[in-house]
Amino acid sequence: MEIGNDIFEKIGKPSMGVPEGYFDSLKSRLESIPSAKVSHPGVWAGMRPYLALAASFAAIVLIGNALLRDTVKNQSADPFYSEDSYADIISITNPELLYNESEFDMEELSDEDIINYLIESGVRTEHLAYAGDQY
Amino acid sequence: MTDKEILDLYNSGQRELAFKELVNSYSERLYWHIRRLLCSHEDTDDLLQDIFVKIWSSLSTFRGESQLYTWLYRIATNESLNFLQKQKIRAALQFESMTSKIEERIDEDTLLDGDQLQRDLMKAIQRLPSKQRTVFIMRWFDDLSYEDISEILGTSVGALKASYHFASEKIKAELEKNLK
Repeated sequence: MEIGNDIFEKIGKPSMGVPEGYFDSLKSRLESIPSAKVSHPGVWAGMRPYLALAASFAAIVLIGNALLRDTVKNQSADPFYSEDSYADIISITNPELLYNESEFDMEELSDEDIINYLIESGVRTEHLAYAGDQY
Repeated sequence: MTDKEILDLYNSGQRELAFKELVNSYSERLYWHIRRLLCSHEDTDDLLQDIFVKIWSSLSTFRGESQLYTWLYRIATNESLNFLQKQKIRAALQFESMTSKIEERIDEDTLLDGDQLQRDLMKAIQRLPSKQRTVFIMRWFDDLSYEDISEILGTSVGALKASYHFASEKIKAELEKNLK
Protein backbone atom coordinates (compact mmCIF):
# COMPACT_ATOMS: atom_id res chain seq x y z
CA MET A 1 0.00 0.00 0.00
CA GLU A 2 1.49 3.31 -1.10
CA ILE A 3 1.11 6.26 1.18
CA GLY A 4 0.47 9.72 -0.24
CA ASN A 5 1.88 13.03 0.87
CA ASP A 6 -1.25 13.86 2.87
CA ILE A 7 -0.71 10.90 5.22
CA PHE A 8 0.38 13.14 8.09
CA GLU A 9 -2.82 15.17 7.90
CA LYS A 10 -4.87 11.96 7.73
CA ILE A 11 -3.19 10.40 10.76
CA GLY A 12 -3.25 13.65 12.71
CA LYS A 13 -0.99 14.71 15.54
CA PRO A 14 -1.06 12.20 18.39
CA SER A 15 -2.61 13.79 21.42
CA MET A 16 -0.57 13.51 24.59
CA GLY A 17 -1.99 14.09 28.02
CA VAL A 18 -0.69 15.22 31.37
CA PRO A 19 -1.91 14.41 34.89
CA GLU A 20 -4.80 16.59 36.02
CA GLY A 21 -3.77 20.03 37.28
CA TYR A 22 -0.21 19.41 36.14
CA PHE A 23 0.40 22.75 34.44
CA ASP A 24 -0.81 24.75 37.46
CA SER A 25 1.56 22.93 39.78
CA LEU A 26 4.35 23.13 37.19
CA LYS A 27 3.98 26.90 36.92
CA SER A 28 4.03 27.43 40.66
CA ARG A 29 7.12 25.20 40.95
CA LEU A 30 8.93 27.04 38.17
CA GLU A 31 7.93 30.47 39.47
CA SER A 32 9.61 29.66 42.77
CA ILE A 33 13.01 29.10 41.10
CA PRO A 34 14.30 32.68 41.68
CA SER A 35 13.42 32.61 45.38
CA ALA A 36 14.87 29.15 45.90
CA LYS A 37 18.56 29.11 46.45
CA VAL A 38 19.78 27.36 43.34
CA SER A 39 22.42 24.96 44.46
CA HIS A 40 25.13 24.56 41.90
CA PRO A 41 27.00 21.29 42.10
CA GLY A 42 30.30 22.03 43.78
CA VAL A 43 33.60 21.85 41.95
CA TRP A 44 34.46 18.79 44.01
CA ALA A 45 31.25 16.96 42.97
CA GLY A 46 31.93 17.66 39.32
CA MET A 47 35.58 16.64 39.52
CA ARG A 48 34.99 13.51 41.59
CA PRO A 49 34.84 10.95 38.74
CA TYR A 50 37.91 12.50 37.07
CA LEU A 51 39.85 12.54 40.33
CA ALA A 52 38.88 8.96 41.07
CA LEU A 53 40.14 7.84 37.67
CA ALA A 54 43.31 9.92 37.99
CA ALA A 55 43.89 8.41 41.44
CA SER A 56 43.51 4.89 40.07
CA PHE A 57 46.03 5.55 37.29
CA ALA A 58 48.43 7.17 39.74
CA ALA A 59 48.09 4.18 42.06
CA ILE A 60 48.85 1.77 39.22
CA VAL A 61 51.90 3.77 38.12
CA LEU A 62 53.24 4.10 41.69
CA ILE A 63 52.78 0.43 42.49
CA GLY A 64 54.27 -0.61 39.15
CA ASN A 65 57.22 1.68 39.78
CA ALA A 66 57.73 0.35 43.32
CA LEU A 67 57.59 -3.26 42.14
CA LEU A 68 60.06 -2.59 39.33
CA ARG A 69 62.48 -0.87 41.72
CA ASP A 70 62.19 -3.73 44.15
CA THR A 71 62.97 -6.21 41.38
CA VAL A 72 65.96 -4.22 40.17
CA LYS A 73 67.28 -3.95 43.75
CA ASN A 74 66.96 -7.71 44.22
CA GLN A 75 68.67 -8.27 40.93
CA SER A 76 71.68 -6.10 41.79
CA ALA A 77 71.96 -7.52 45.31
CA ASP A 78 71.78 -11.13 44.28
CA PRO A 79 74.08 -12.35 41.49
CA PHE A 80 71.66 -15.21 40.98
CA TYR A 81 69.44 -12.78 39.09
CA SER A 82 70.35 -12.59 35.46
CA GLU A 83 68.83 -10.52 32.69
CA ASP A 84 66.56 -13.46 31.94
CA SER A 85 65.00 -12.98 35.35
CA TYR A 86 63.15 -9.96 34.01
CA ALA A 87 60.61 -12.56 33.04
CA ASP A 88 59.71 -12.59 36.73
CA ILE A 89 58.25 -9.15 36.28
CA ILE A 90 55.47 -10.60 34.18
CA SER A 91 53.91 -12.43 37.06
CA ILE A 92 53.73 -9.34 39.25
CA THR A 93 52.47 -7.02 36.55
CA ASN A 94 49.35 -9.08 36.27
CA PRO A 95 46.70 -6.30 36.39
CA GLU A 96 44.53 -8.32 38.72
CA LEU A 97 47.40 -8.62 41.16
CA LEU A 98 48.04 -4.90 40.95
CA TYR A 99 44.42 -4.08 41.69
CA ASN A 100 44.39 -6.48 44.60
CA GLU A 101 47.55 -5.01 46.08
CA SER A 102 46.59 -1.42 45.41
CA GLU A 103 45.72 0.83 48.30
CA PHE A 104 43.15 2.42 46.01
CA ASP A 105 39.92 0.55 46.35
CA MET A 106 38.46 0.08 42.88
CA GLU A 107 35.11 -0.64 44.47
CA GLU A 108 34.92 3.06 45.28
CA LEU A 109 34.56 3.63 41.56
CA SER A 110 31.04 2.56 40.70
CA ASP A 111 29.70 1.74 37.24
CA GLU A 112 27.72 4.95 37.52
CA ASP A 113 30.98 6.93 38.06
CA ILE A 114 32.50 5.34 34.98
CA ILE A 115 29.39 5.98 32.88
CA ASN A 116 29.25 9.60 34.07
CA TYR A 117 32.94 10.02 33.32
CA LEU A 118 32.48 8.67 29.79
CA ILE A 119 29.44 10.89 29.20
CA GLU A 120 31.11 14.01 30.59
CA SER A 121 34.27 13.35 28.63
CA GLY A 122 32.23 13.59 25.44
CA VAL A 123 32.26 9.96 24.37
CA ARG A 124 29.72 9.25 21.62
CA THR A 125 27.89 6.07 20.75
CA GLU A 126 29.97 5.86 17.56
CA HIS A 127 33.11 5.57 19.73
CA LEU A 128 31.49 2.80 21.73
CA ALA A 129 30.52 0.95 18.56
CA TYR A 130 34.13 1.33 17.34
CA ALA A 131 35.52 0.07 20.64
CA GLY A 132 33.08 -2.84 20.49
CA ASP A 133 34.42 -3.81 17.07
CA GLN A 134 37.91 -4.13 18.50
CA TYR A 135 37.01 -7.07 20.70
CA MET B 1 2.67 39.70 27.90
CA THR B 2 4.93 40.07 24.85
CA ASP B 3 8.61 39.12 24.79
CA LYS B 4 9.55 42.80 24.67
CA GLU B 5 7.43 43.59 27.73
CA ILE B 6 9.01 40.68 29.61
CA LEU B 7 12.50 41.90 28.75
CA ASP B 8 11.65 45.51 29.62
CA LEU B 9 10.36 44.32 32.98
CA TYR B 10 13.55 42.33 33.55
CA ASN B 11 15.80 45.22 32.56
CA SER B 12 13.88 47.59 34.81
CA GLY B 13 15.00 45.50 37.78
CA GLN B 14 11.79 43.56 38.37
CA ARG B 15 13.56 40.34 37.54
CA GLU B 16 11.46 37.89 39.51
CA LEU B 17 8.25 39.31 38.09
CA ALA B 18 9.66 39.12 34.58
CA PHE B 19 10.63 35.49 35.16
CA LYS B 20 7.13 34.75 36.42
CA GLU B 21 5.69 36.19 33.21
CA LEU B 22 8.17 34.18 31.19
CA VAL B 23 7.07 30.99 32.97
CA ASN B 24 3.43 31.88 32.26
CA SER B 25 4.12 32.44 28.58
CA TYR B 26 6.50 29.59 27.85
CA SER B 27 6.33 26.74 30.38
CA GLU B 28 3.53 24.94 28.58
CA ARG B 29 4.94 25.45 25.09
CA LEU B 30 8.38 24.28 26.10
CA TYR B 31 6.85 21.34 27.97
CA TRP B 32 5.22 20.05 24.77
CA HIS B 33 8.32 20.67 22.71
CA ILE B 34 10.48 18.65 25.12
CA ARG B 35 7.84 15.98 25.64
CA ARG B 36 7.73 15.26 21.91
CA LEU B 37 11.49 14.93 21.82
CA LEU B 38 11.78 12.73 24.93
CA CYS B 39 8.50 10.77 24.72
CA SER B 40 8.22 10.68 28.50
CA HIS B 41 6.22 12.86 30.86
CA GLU B 42 8.50 12.12 33.83
CA ASP B 43 11.74 12.91 32.00
CA THR B 44 10.19 16.07 30.57
CA ASP B 45 9.09 17.21 33.99
CA ASP B 46 12.60 16.72 35.43
CA LEU B 47 14.36 18.33 32.52
CA LEU B 48 12.00 21.29 32.30
CA GLN B 49 12.86 22.24 35.88
CA ASP B 50 16.59 22.17 35.03
CA ILE B 51 15.99 24.17 31.86
CA PHE B 52 14.15 26.95 33.69
CA VAL B 53 16.90 27.06 36.32
CA LYS B 54 19.35 27.53 33.44
CA ILE B 55 17.12 30.19 31.85
CA TRP B 56 16.92 32.10 35.14
CA SER B 57 20.67 31.99 35.70
CA SER B 58 21.55 33.02 32.14
CA LEU B 59 18.78 35.53 31.43
CA SER B 60 21.15 38.34 32.40
CA THR B 61 23.43 37.31 29.52
CA PHE B 62 20.65 37.55 26.92
CA ARG B 63 21.79 40.32 24.59
CA GLY B 64 18.70 40.49 22.41
CA GLU B 65 20.61 39.42 19.29
CA SER B 66 17.91 36.84 18.64
CA GLN B 67 14.26 36.74 19.59
CA LEU B 68 13.61 35.72 23.19
CA TYR B 69 11.47 32.82 22.12
CA THR B 70 14.06 31.31 19.75
CA TRP B 71 16.66 31.71 22.52
CA LEU B 72 14.41 29.76 24.92
CA TYR B 73 13.73 27.07 22.33
CA ARG B 74 17.46 26.80 21.65
CA ILE B 75 18.20 26.16 25.32
CA ALA B 76 15.35 23.66 25.59
CA THR B 77 16.33 21.84 22.38
CA ASN B 78 20.02 21.65 23.25
CA GLU B 79 19.30 20.39 26.75
CA SER B 80 16.85 17.80 25.42
CA LEU B 81 19.28 16.54 22.79
CA ASN B 82 22.07 16.34 25.39
CA PHE B 83 19.73 14.45 27.69
CA LEU B 84 18.86 11.99 24.90
CA GLN B 85 22.52 11.57 23.97
CA LYS B 86 23.40 10.75 27.58
CA GLN B 87 20.54 8.26 27.77
CA LYS B 88 21.73 6.68 24.53
CA ILE B 89 25.30 6.30 25.81
CA ARG B 90 24.07 4.98 29.14
CA ALA B 91 21.93 2.40 27.31
CA ALA B 92 24.83 1.42 25.01
CA LEU B 93 27.16 0.92 28.00
CA GLN B 94 24.57 -1.35 29.53
CA PHE B 95 24.19 -3.20 26.21
CA GLU B 96 20.63 -2.02 25.76
CA SER B 97 19.00 -0.38 22.77
CA MET B 98 17.67 3.14 23.32
CA THR B 99 15.33 2.84 20.34
CA SER B 100 13.57 -0.22 21.75
CA LYS B 101 13.40 1.47 25.17
CA ILE B 102 11.64 4.48 23.64
CA GLU B 103 9.33 2.23 21.64
CA GLU B 104 8.37 0.45 24.86
CA ARG B 105 7.72 3.86 26.43
CA ILE B 106 5.41 4.79 23.55
CA ASP B 107 3.51 1.48 23.83
CA GLU B 108 3.14 1.78 27.60
CA ASP B 109 2.47 5.54 27.78
CA THR B 110 -0.96 5.88 29.32
CA LEU B 111 -0.84 9.63 28.74
CA LEU B 112 -0.52 9.15 24.98
CA ASP B 113 -4.06 9.22 23.70
CA GLY B 114 -3.63 7.90 20.16
CA ASP B 115 -4.64 4.96 17.97
CA GLN B 116 -2.15 2.33 16.77
CA LEU B 117 -1.31 4.29 13.61
CA GLN B 118 -0.42 7.34 15.69
CA ARG B 119 1.76 5.21 17.96
CA ASP B 120 3.46 3.77 14.86
CA LEU B 121 4.01 7.33 13.66
CA MET B 122 5.61 8.27 17.00
CA LYS B 123 7.88 5.22 16.82
CA ALA B 124 8.87 6.04 13.24
CA ILE B 125 9.77 9.58 14.34
CA GLN B 126 11.93 8.21 17.17
CA ARG B 127 13.85 5.99 14.75
CA LEU B 128 14.98 9.00 12.72
CA PRO B 129 18.52 10.35 13.10
CA SER B 130 18.67 13.02 15.79
CA LYS B 131 18.76 16.07 13.50
CA GLN B 132 15.96 14.89 11.19
CA ARG B 133 13.82 13.99 14.20
CA THR B 134 14.33 17.42 15.76
CA VAL B 135 13.51 19.24 12.53
CA PHE B 136 10.43 17.10 11.89
CA ILE B 137 9.11 17.64 15.42
CA MET B 138 9.70 21.39 15.30
CA ARG B 139 8.13 21.78 11.89
CA TRP B 140 5.24 19.33 12.03
CA PHE B 141 4.31 19.20 15.71
CA ASP B 142 5.34 22.65 16.90
CA ASP B 143 4.38 24.45 13.65
CA LEU B 144 7.55 26.54 13.77
CA SER B 145 8.61 28.31 10.60
CA TYR B 146 11.80 27.24 8.84
CA GLU B 147 13.23 30.69 9.59
CA ASP B 148 12.66 30.24 13.32
CA ILE B 149 14.01 26.68 13.29
CA SER B 150 17.03 27.98 11.41
CA GLU B 151 17.66 30.53 14.16
CA ILE B 152 17.17 27.94 16.90
CA LEU B 153 19.34 25.20 15.41
CA GLY B 154 21.82 27.44 13.60
CA THR B 155 21.26 25.61 10.31
CA SER B 156 20.38 27.06 6.91
CA VAL B 157 16.76 26.97 5.74
CA GLY B 158 17.76 24.89 2.70
CA ALA B 159 19.39 22.23 4.88
CA LEU B 160 16.33 22.17 7.16
CA LYS B 161 13.99 21.66 4.20
CA ALA B 162 16.15 18.78 3.00
CA SER B 163 16.16 17.25 6.50
CA TYR B 164 12.38 17.57 6.73
CA HIS B 165 11.95 15.98 3.30
CA PHE B 166 14.17 12.99 4.15
CA ALA B 167 12.46 12.61 7.52
CA SER B 168 8.98 12.58 5.92
CA GLU B 169 10.05 10.02 3.33
CA LYS B 170 11.52 7.73 5.98
CA ILE B 171 8.42 7.96 8.14
CA LYS B 172 6.16 7.23 5.18
CA ALA B 173 8.29 4.19 4.27
CA GLU B 174 8.05 2.92 7.88
CA LEU B 175 4.28 3.37 7.95
CA GLU B 176 3.92 1.62 4.58
CA LYS B 177 5.86 -1.35 5.98
CA ASN B 178 3.46 -1.53 8.94
CA LEU B 179 0.39 -1.34 6.72
CA LYS B 180 1.49 -4.25 4.47
